[in-house]
Amino acid sequence: MPHLEQLAELVGHEDRVWCATWHPTKPILATCSGDKTVRIWQATNAQDPSKWQCTNVLEGGHKRTIRSVAWSPDGRQLATGSFDATTGIWERDEDESGDYECVATLEGHENETKSIAWSKSGALLATCSRDKSVWIWEVEEDNDFECLSVLQEHTQDVKMVAWHPTEELLASASYDDTIKIWKDDDDDWYCSDTLHGHESTVWAIDFAPSGDEIVSASADQSLKIWKRFPPGNPFGIVTPRRGEPVWKCVATVSGQHERCIYSVSWSKAHGLIASAGADNTIRLFEATEARPEAEGRLTPEQQRAMNEPGVLVETVAVAQVKEAHGTSDINSVAWYPSETHGDWLASGGDDGSVRIWRLVQ
Amino acid sequence: MAFSGALTLSDLNDFISPSQACIKPVEVAKTAETQGAIKVDNSGSYYEVSQDGSETKLETATISLNDCLACSGCITSAESVLVTLQSQEELYSILKQNKIAIETNDPSTHRTVVVSISPQTRASFAAKYQQTPLQVARKLTWFFKSLGVHSVFDTSFSRDLALLETGREFVDRYRKAIAKGVLKPPNMNGSAAPADAAAGGSGDMEVDTPKPKKRIIRRGAAATTDEPAVAVETESAMPMLASACPGWICYAEKTHGYMLPYISETKSPQQIMGSMVKNHFGSQLNLNPDQIYHVCVMPCYDKKLEASRSDFYSDLYKTRDVDCVITSTEVEKMFSEQGQTDMSVFGELDLDLGYNSVIKDPNTGADQVLIGASGNASGGFLEYVMQYAAREIFGIDGVDVDRAVGVEVKTVRNSDFREVTLEVPGSGEVLLKFAAAYGFRNIQNLVRKVKTGKSPYHFVEVMACPSGCINGGGQLKPPGDNFVAVPLKDWIAQVDGQYRNGVLARKPEENPVLEQLYREWLGGIDTPKAREQLRTGYHAVEQNLVNPLAVKW
Repeated sequence: MPHLEQLAELVGHEDRVWCATWHPTKPILATCSGDKTVRIWQATNAQDPSKWQCTNVLEGGHKRTIRSVAWSPDGRQLATGSFDATTGIWERDEDESGDYECVATLEGHENETKSIAWSKSGALLATCSRDKSVWIWEVEEDNDFECLSVLQEHTQDVKMVAWHPTEELLASASYDDTIKIWKDDDDDWYCSDTLHGHESTVWAIDFAPSGDEIVSASADQSLKIWKRFPPGNPFGIVTPRRGEPVWKCVATVSGQHERCIYSVSWSKAHGLIASAGADNTIRLFEATEARPEAEGRLTPEQQRAMNEPGVLVETVAVAQVKEAHGTSDINSVAWYPSETHGDWLASGGDDGSVRIWRLVQ
Repeated sequence: MAFSGALTLSDLNDFISPSQACIKPVEVAKTAETQGAIKVDNSGSYYEVSQDGSETKLETATISLNDCLACSGCITSAESVLVTLQSQEELYSILKQNKIAIETNDPSTHRTVVVSISPQTRASFAAKYQQTPLQVARKLTWFFKSLGVHSVFDTSFSRDLALLETGREFVDRYRKAIAKGVLKPPNMNGSAAPADAAAGGSGDMEVDTPKPKKRIIRRGAAATTDEPAVAVETESAMPMLASACPGWICYAEKTHGYMLPYISETKSPQQIMGSMVKNHFGSQLNLNPDQIYHVCVMPCYDKKLEASRSDFYSDLYKTRDVDCVITSTEVEKMFSEQGQTDMSVFGELDLDLGYNSVIKDPNTGADQVLIGASGNASGGFLEYVMQYAAREIFGIDGVDVDRAVGVEVKTVRNSDFREVTLEVPGSGEVLLKFAAAYGFRNIQNLVRKVKTGKSPYHFVEVMACPSGCINGGGQLKPPGDNFVAVPLKDWIAQVDGQYRNGVLARKPEENPVLEQLYREWLGGIDTPKAREQLRTGYHAVEQNLVNPLAVKW
């Protein structure tokens, strides 16, 4: 029976931990907190993953809670999104003390920044905020960031932004219960699709390793998996807008989490989905292509008639850890991004601790 | 009981979405005492009773039209209710009042109504109703006069003044900036060091603040990026930013107060027309400013905000320079309200002399042909200031930005961001570098560059709407259903095409009436009266950070 065992508990933050994120290539973890700092953690000994130390504390860059932190794809920069409405860009000073310094501050949002994300190429940075907008920035040399677009189509607070693993395609999740997909037409960004279905705030989203599916976590206590159907797809799903693919819900995981789900992570290594939230439990799911003979499945004709894919993906609950952070909400879960330590999962919670878990099959 | 810093609109029966209460912060003067009780007396007045028993009467908090429109914090239709205070309804009621005043022979309640129409509105009607701008102007004159309006004017006329003043203000600032060392004088000899020529923009601009170091260690102290290190003085601040767009002004006042010193102090064409109509035209008719009712027809709603600024209100006569702004779409509504939907059968009248830009047509001999400054549909500020400054400062004549003569015109990144560069003929040394930044994302980039001292420009024409004024929020939509038949880009191109259709080009300084105006009305070019009538100022809005607990998520 696969299960998660706790490898380490990292203490140091003085307030709730909002976000934990792995370095793209090295076993280094960055976490951010209501204590207005980011902490960088590294295993003291590569062979023994149970001992971690905090190697850097990034402070003084923000005046309020740091809500989200993200490594650039080349691992050389960190972006921090804060409730003070700014996004900080940090770099490590190689020649001097190895400390991180804030080399740029992106302003523009009217109020709390909720999430930031780098595109796969590292050329673009997306930020979103309670001001209902999503901003897309282009990274230029000399640590200058130019605003490419301000997208204001969500009708409420935007909670999270996430980029497609390979394409320049952005997804955003909002308090308005929808997920929006954004693309650009020669630097003019537009909303290519809006995903309806959740009955409450969508708190988090993550792309599948292939990029053709998205998993979303919501305050309605369910996870949904959405699949992309390009024009002319074999399932007969109609694509109404000229040349644009549509995204349809192909699975809903309900009855598992007992409260809001705040975070979800789809492993690029083994494909398991980890989710966690206000019920203090980390849960793991596996998503597989549904067998055609599965019960409750619509026939192809029925599907075409409804323009709905029915159930195309089945999910199975694989493991869970209750009280993973004691009686505290869990705000963030993140799988290690590559196969090297693909069995590692990091989590951050309201108790101010960060925990490293290992999936034991 | 504590005083909350936020105010809730409670007696409106409009729906306020649950996540947003009005966040207009009420300023509460903090006293030394912490606890106080609130008492209500029989008349419903509130008193704060302090611990020693003394009572202070509390003022009721109010929200004015300005507070509300400039805030855009809540999205209730209460805002549109307040905006209807400036609409064609007001105009109708004034006209009705006038009729009564005439019938009852009571001149004290009569107000002479003047309507000033913007060239963008003219272009909008021309495109939709398949007329030429001259026909539109003549028909609108007929339409408004048939309602009882006294005079119909064209803001192209006051724009000539705005352009002249902006050009002069720029040259003045440039010279002071060089004198104070804010700017480095360019090398006119042509033997410029290669590094300078290659660096082009950013190398030449040195602002008073020390050049920000590439790596700034901020550990320990919170990043204070709110104010630049050294205060900027308006008289030499570079770049100079155009001031004609109230959407931009309100945004800068609310969110980027440190940008205000850079903004040109010249009034917009609308407000210059306001000053002229109330203080010059009025005196010619022997009327006080409050005996005139001045309406402006504009392509956007933000112009209503501009008209109601306290800077444009006369305390003496208790009247505004522009009493009412209506948009192109509101005028179209007036057509149907008056039962006149077919513009092609409207009557036509000659345009009023005075503040119109018309002359006898030199080509056809017709009595009237439209004439105005060249430049794009957002007023042509960049075009005019560039050719004026080139001549005044460097003695370079014949610069024509429209036709890219004498300057290099480049589209940077997107069509709403253009750069225009004047170089020393031959050497390529940059003399003047101007830009036009339209739309929110480009304003963001501009603001960021100016704030960090990395802006390479001397002058920037800033407009809040993508594609500029021709695409203002109050412009007419194409016939049919919402941009399906005619995509927005094509529609904008059509309206833009009508903007100068049949309009002869004339430089503002060649307008013979202006010289007369300066002499008779303002007493000269740089007189106190000229500054009072043609210049204005800006005020940063205090950013009271909302108590997060008071905001409903």
